[in-house]
Amino acid sequence: MLKQWWLQRQLKKRINNSSLDSARMHYQYLLDHLHQPISTVNLLALDIEMTGLDPKKNQMVSIGIIPIINAQIQPKLAQYKLIKIQGSVGQSAVIHGVLDNDLKHALSIQEILLWLFKQCEDKVLVAHHAPLDLQFLQRALLSTQIHSQPLLAIDTLHIDKERQLRQHQVLKTGSLRLNACRSRYNLPIYNAHNALTDALACAELLLAQLSQMGGMEDITLAQLLIKNR
Amino acid sequence: MDNSELQPIFDFMCQLPPFDSLDQTILKQCCQSLTIAYYGKQQQLVHVDTNQAQLYIVRSGAFEVTTQQGELIDRIAEGQFFGFSGMLSGEKVVNQVHILEDGLVYHLPATMFDQLRAQSHSFDRFFNQAFAKRLRNQGSISNKHINTARITHIMCRNLTTIHPDATIHQAALLMSEKRLSSLVVMEDQLLCGILTDRDLRNRVLAKGLNGDLLVKQVMTDNPFTIEPNALIFEAMLKMSENNIHHLPVVDKVDLAGQEQQGKKPIGIITSTDLIRSQSSQPLLLIGQIDRQNSLEEIIQVSQKIPELLHNLISSDAKAIEIGRILTSVTDSLTRRLITIKQMQLGEAPMSFCWLAFGSQGRQDQMAGSDQDNALVLEREPKQTEQAYFKALSEYVCHALDACGFPFCPGNIMAQNPQWQLSLKQWQQQFTSWVRTPNPKALLNATIFFDIRPISGDFHLFEQLQETILKTTKNNDIFIAAMTKNALQSTPPLGFFRSLVIERDGSEVKGIDLKHKGNALINDIVRIYSLAAGVAEVNTSKRLESLISKNKIDKEIAMSLLDAWEFIAHKRLTNQGLQFNKQQTVSNYILPDNLSPLARHQLKDAFKVIHEAQSTIRLKFLRRF
Repeated sequence: MLKQWWLQRQLKKRINNSSLDSARMHYQYLLDHLHQPISTVNLLALDIEMTGLDPKKNQMVSIGIIPIINAQIQPKLAQYKLIKIQGSVGQSAVIHGVLDNDLKHALSIQEILLWLFKQCEDKVLVAHHAPLDLQFLQRALLSTQIHSQPLLAIDTLHIDKERQLRQHQVLKTGSLRLNACRSRYNLPIYNAHNALTDALACAELLLAQLSQMGGMEDITLAQLLIKNR
Repeated sequence: MDNSELQPIFDFMCQLPPFDSLDQTILKQCCQSLTIAYYGKQQQLVHVDTNQAQLYIVRSGAFEVTTQQGELIDRIAEGQFFGFSGMLSGEKVVNQVHILEDGLVYHLPATMFDQLRAQSHSFDRFFNQAFAKRLRNQGSISNKHINTARITHIMCRNLTTIHPDATIHQAALLMSEKRLSSLVVMEDQLLCGILTDRDLRNRVLAKGLNGDLLVKQVMTDNPFTIEPNALIFEAMLKMSENNIHHLPVVDKVDLAGQEQQGKKPIGIITSTDLIRSQSSQPLLLIGQIDRQNSLEEIIQVSQKIPELLHNLISSDAKAIEIGRILTSVTDSLTRRLITIKQMQLGEAPMSFCWLAFGSQGRQDQMAGSDQDNALVLEREPKQTEQAYFKALSEYVCHALDACGFPFCPGNIMAQNPQWQLSLKQWQQQFTSWVRTPNPKALLNATIFFDIRPISGDFHLFEQLQETILKTTKNNDIFIAAMTKNALQSTPPLGFFRSLVIERDGSEVKGIDLKHKGNALINDIVRIYSLAAGVAEVNTSKRLESLISKNKIDKEIAMSLLDAWEFIAHKRLTNQGLQFNKQQTVSNYILPDNLSPLARHQLKDAFKVIHEAQSTIRLKFLRRF
């Protein structure tokens, strides 16, 4: 109850403080659907590839999004964007495969944020290890002065962590990685580290998690939403 | 890599039949149109929206399709489909889909499904339930191999004929005018004989006779003939065995008011035509067999049979024709062995006929077939006469064993005195099997009713066959017993991962394609044939005959023929694989050695057998 009350307050605060229409609509959507079963909520799985894991030093390189509507993933509506960075992708290219050359026609960080808010006007964000992605987005929001409040998202890593702790299991190193989580749900293993592939992998994982939690009818959005700490 | 594509979906779809045959651009559109859902076991059933038809493509997990009454229809794992039958038939889906293991499923909307079917022929064929149409359009089976080519390709269709009452002078004029070495003698559209250069030389000139003789006095009447769908190879064999150079090609026609069929000539084949169409390996092998004079030599030649089989398999000949060729080799081997022994034993004390049963009888022998044979004698032999047939049959059976045709485990062999019977005894034997169809008799029936004469006096065989067909034809009780027996074994339902699923839902490691496939079809076709009094014993010839007599639904017959060929072909390619790996050659196949497409097609072939079994249950047992 406390969490729900807190969530409502946070959302209302964001609606009041947002200067951007699409951001206001996004938070309004969250507020309106807090107590709705998750099956009726539109979701947007997202993954961001970065030059490193430190939001203070590193930058976002690419972003992939894929919506889940009516409990079904919609490849048709998937999108992938490259992001302009300062300097070079350096050694991180080995991981995400995005080269400096690819970024010539990339969008600026400002354009990306506006695009992303537009995409999630009527959707809830989902990510695997969401706090990391949200921190990167938060720093970008601050630097571009579009918005100052942290975003909210459903975190598939958190869901699995809670589940393992509930079952009194000791968390093993690497057991919460995307592919490790997926294999527990009988999901195929994909080559990781393409933003769009990982967004798809995250979307599928969420559907699997919800199914195992007892189905999408009985779970509300509020139960799943976490705050970027 | 184009990062805007959903690579994992595309990667999966592009290796999945029939999507793998689609054009890249179309496949990309198709991947775009999918939606993805996850089905958890807790839900128990996949909720199928009957108003929104779609193809379910299983990406992971396992599902089971059953009827509303709970009868298992299919068990489905990664890379398989459900939900398409409704889209093809336009009927609402009433089957239930149970979730066995949690899994991810791609949904392909009906609009895209229909679009793909319209755009791609192979895609449409894959899902089209008209099984026969699908297999027949395979195109993987080529006829280019010489051994399996039909004589209609090389025969001369431009027949020059003459009437039997013409003089041989007229005949000779015609032959020299048209530069021919033979004339077909015809009366009322029917063949009555053949007149060749050699006849004119040997029967006229050499005897000092003149040209006023009539053709019918000189011609060879009732000449050897061949049917238009025979293989070139069979024509070669017939000519070399009988030392003739001309073979009229005839269509058999029913004659009003007569038991015997007439022969209507449609062409002629000469040894020159055959030489022109190249020599061939099986024929060389048979030629070699015919030249050998000792057992050691024969055994040596017969060691080439596995290689011959292997060559035939790799040339992608039709399974039906490979069976016929291999059986011809066995026939020649048997005949030669009989001849060799008779050279030592002298003339037989009475006329006899060497009979082949089972696969040799049906002409569908493959690797590792055991021998099933017997002797029919003119009359019951006296003790001294018996010794002759004992010596002959023991020699031939042991020699066949040494040549790679092992003894029959059921001891159905000519060397077993139990199966050296006079015509009369054979007739009684068959009659008793038919009258009292106990389990033993029915087991015998599946072997003994596929009977073919190999050597000796074929007239004995013909009399026997006449009796058999007379007793079985329209014999409801016997046919019902045969049907019940045939229905004891059922084809598998399909494949599930590395396993074969039986119809009762149990899972086994592998499948015997002979006993769970071809043999079941042979059984079904035998029942139809005995009920209709069809004399043929080869399964495909039986079906052709049944179709022409209107004794079987043509669709069922064609589907059975296709299923037979498809399963036999798989069996042969599997044996080719085993041969290459120097493993024991068997009829056993593991699902892991089957491509997804082959699994899909085999499943269809099993379905054809299942449906045909239901049909005979209804038709001959009058039971549902």
